Amino acid sequence: MNTAASPLLSVDNLTVEIGGANVVDGVSFDVAPGKVMALVGESGCGKSLTSYALLGLLPDAARRTAGTVRLQDRDLTALSERQLRKARGKEISIIFQEPSASLDPLTTVGAQIAAAYQTHNNVSRSEAYDRARQMLADVGIPDPDRRLHQYPFELSGGMCQRIMISIALICSPQVLVADEPTTALDVTIQAQILDLMKKLVADRGTSIVIITHDMGVVADIADDVAVMYAGRIAEIAPVQSLFDDPKHPYTALLLASVPKLHHAPKTDLATIEGRVPTLSEFGAGCRFADRCPLATEKCRIEQPPLFDCGGGHRSACWHIDRMPEIRKVAA
Amino acid sequence: MSESQENVLEMRDVAVHFGGRGGFFGSSGAVVKAVNGVDLDIRKAETVALVGESGCGKSTLSNTIVGLQTPVSGSVKISGEEVVGADSRKLNDIRRKVQMIFQDPALSLDPRSTIGATIGEPLLVRGIARGKALKERVGELLTQVGLRAEHADRYPHQFSGGQRQRVVIARALALEPDLLICDEPVSALDVSVRAQILNLLVALQKRMGVSYLFVSHDLSVVRHICDRVVVMYLGRFVEIAERDTFFANPKHPYTRALMSAVPEADPAVQRSKQRFVLQGELPSPANIPSGCAFHTRCPLATEICSTVRPELTPRPDGALVACHHA
Ligand SMILES: Nc1ncnc2c1ncn2[C@@H]1O[C@H](COP(=O)(O)OP(=O)(O)O)[C@@H](O)[C@H]1O
Ligand SMILES: Nc1ncnc2c1ncn2[C@@H]1O[C@H](COP(=O)(O)OP(=O)(O)O)[C@@H](O)[C@H]1O
Ligand code: SF4
Ligand code: SF4
Ligand SMILES: [Mg+2]
Ligand SMILES: [Mg+2]
Repeated sequence: MNTAASPLLSVDNLTVEIGGANVVDGVSFDVAPGKVMALVGESGCGKSLTSYALLGLLPDAARRTAGTVRLQDRDLTALSERQLRKARGKEISIIFQEPSASLDPLTTVGAQIAAAYQTHNNVSRSEAYDRARQMLADVGIPDPDRRLHQYPFELSGGMCQRIMISIALICSPQVLVADEPTTALDVTIQAQILDLMKKLVADRGTSIVIITHDMGVVADIADDVAVMYAGRIAEIAPVQSLFDDPKHPYTALLLASVPKLHHAPKTDLATIEGRVPTLSEFGAGCRFADRCPLATEKCRIEQPPLFDCGGGHRSACWHIDRMPEIRKVAA
Repeated sequence: MSESQENVLEMRDVAVHFGGRGGFFGSSGAVVKAVNGVDLDIRKAETVALVGESGCGKSTLSNTIVGLQTPVSGSVKISGEEVVGADSRKLNDIRRKVQMIFQDPALSLDPRSTIGATIGEPLLVRGIARGKALKERVGELLTQVGLRAEHADRYPHQFSGGQRQRVVIARALALEPDLLICDEPVSALDVSVRAQILNLLVALQKRMGVSYLFVSHDLSVVRHICDRVVVMYLGRFVEIAERDTFFANPKHPYTRALMSAVPEADPAVQRSKQRFVLQGELPSPANIPSGCAFHTRCPLATEICSTVRPELTPRPDGALVACHHA
């Protein structure tokens, strides 16, 4: 991807199994320092499981069966649970879609942020609170002294997400994983949170893996994009290249189904018939074959590898040369 | 008069408040002024979008139109007939002309009923159709929304989210309403499915001439589907304009902030656009700021904004805007 800087986070062949099916299947991507990688796709495509697997936080039903997650020169998948706990928060952190569900309702937000700091730093309570106060100011919370002593229910969704970001970042991890961090928020608050994340990248050089289904969010914040479909990466590319010249039918149709400035009002938008297959429906070939206007016999039988299209752009499709046909459908 | 014949909805000075009197904490219990004096007309076969942040009163207004909420003052006429204060029989009659669909189709469908029974229920209850005629009408409605007549025997769990939203739409259309209130009907759907539902709503309007009040926070969807846009802030309308005027020349500072907040699905456009990021959050509707309610967050606010409330006034291009400085 970014050949200039060596990757900070390098995910290779990550594979997660549920009930015998690979719900995350051979996912690989690199994130350079201070860069934002977006994982996009419809619900059920394995975005969340991929993000949990990065931190070794998979649900009981799921198991990582292959792959590595290298953070600098350490493979996180080789760490013991105890070592992983040490790494979480300090080297790699995660925030979720529903901030209120991830915060402890019975503890003040100040105590929660301070505790996160004390987990990794041998400091006094008052020193931890000082850090928490500073962190709240950094994430743009007005009147941090008062906020420190409030409980989550006293705060709005946007405020709670800022608190979650404070907890995730207080120990200055190199990587922040954000699973749909703005999906539950109003667009006005979403814009504030995205600006905050961009500022963190610029000021601290944090790398971000952001999961979203919103192409607008991708267009706003991502440097690189991996489009996921049914557990696999369908296409991966620098952001501008992906929007300008999608090389996978799924990406092209996803992009065309969002109304854009140049669309005449009340005309038909491109759609994708059918739905994402569930784990019991995965076939041997391309998992998009049932919905793909370009699908051929070969697609149903044989899984397409990620083909290199140059410029860091790769697509898992047997018929990249036929993309102009899709562009007609998706005009 | 002839003009009012064309209007499927006419609201005048409608206010809806919650709480207050006899409040738990004494007589000073805060009144939530969720809707605070709004006028709104919707023409036949017109789509009006209602936009604004959560808590600004969009659902309360929608509920008031369908009669789920009673206004403290004002008039609501549906196809020329007054809803406020009407007796229950008349109300029942008026209500068939306005139907509503919600954001989460899963919550609007009874998991134990076949979708045929669900769609047919309003027809059966009103004695409009039964037996074979009912079955036929249900099949027709299913086809209209892009499902198949034989789907009638299935249960909601056998359908995807997008298909369930189609079922909800079929049920809402059963009584051939003049006006369909769509409260964030596509917000919970994936974009590909969302596109299908938007295409369906547009096609149904062309075919049946139904009007929509389309509640949404997604301005790209609004731009695609609507004829006119209404922006709401803390219970009042702050800007009303025809679609092209609205998007070409947004005037109210709040409108401009909303537009700038919606990320455009195009990196070049999104990263070069003029940003107008709103500070802070929506104040509580139990404690609405004086003067212009937006003055606590408005970058253009001056002295007068905190004391004098700006009225909606017409602009040369036909837009109505409530702002001292726009
Ligand atoms: N705890 C679980 N048990 C069983 N199946 C699961 C579990 N979590 C996720 N899945 C399944 O794995 C697939 C991918 O899920 P997820 O990663 O949550 O997708 P996304 O975040 O893209 O919406 C889906 O089919 C989902 O139903
Ligand atoms: N039944 C109710 N009782 C008390 N307050 C309510 C009720 N319904 C809505 N509200 C309040 O009225 C305001 C407007 O809510 P709503 O109409 O749901 O806004 P929106 O749909 O724009 O998000 C909010 O402050 C909400 O908390
Ligand atoms: S491999 Fe075949 S089915 Fe899969 S996306 Fe390409 S053309 Fe479509
Ligand atoms: S009246 Fe004043 S505070 Fe209100 S929107 Fe206009 S400039 Fe801003
Ligand atoms: Mg998810
Ligand atoms: Mg609402």
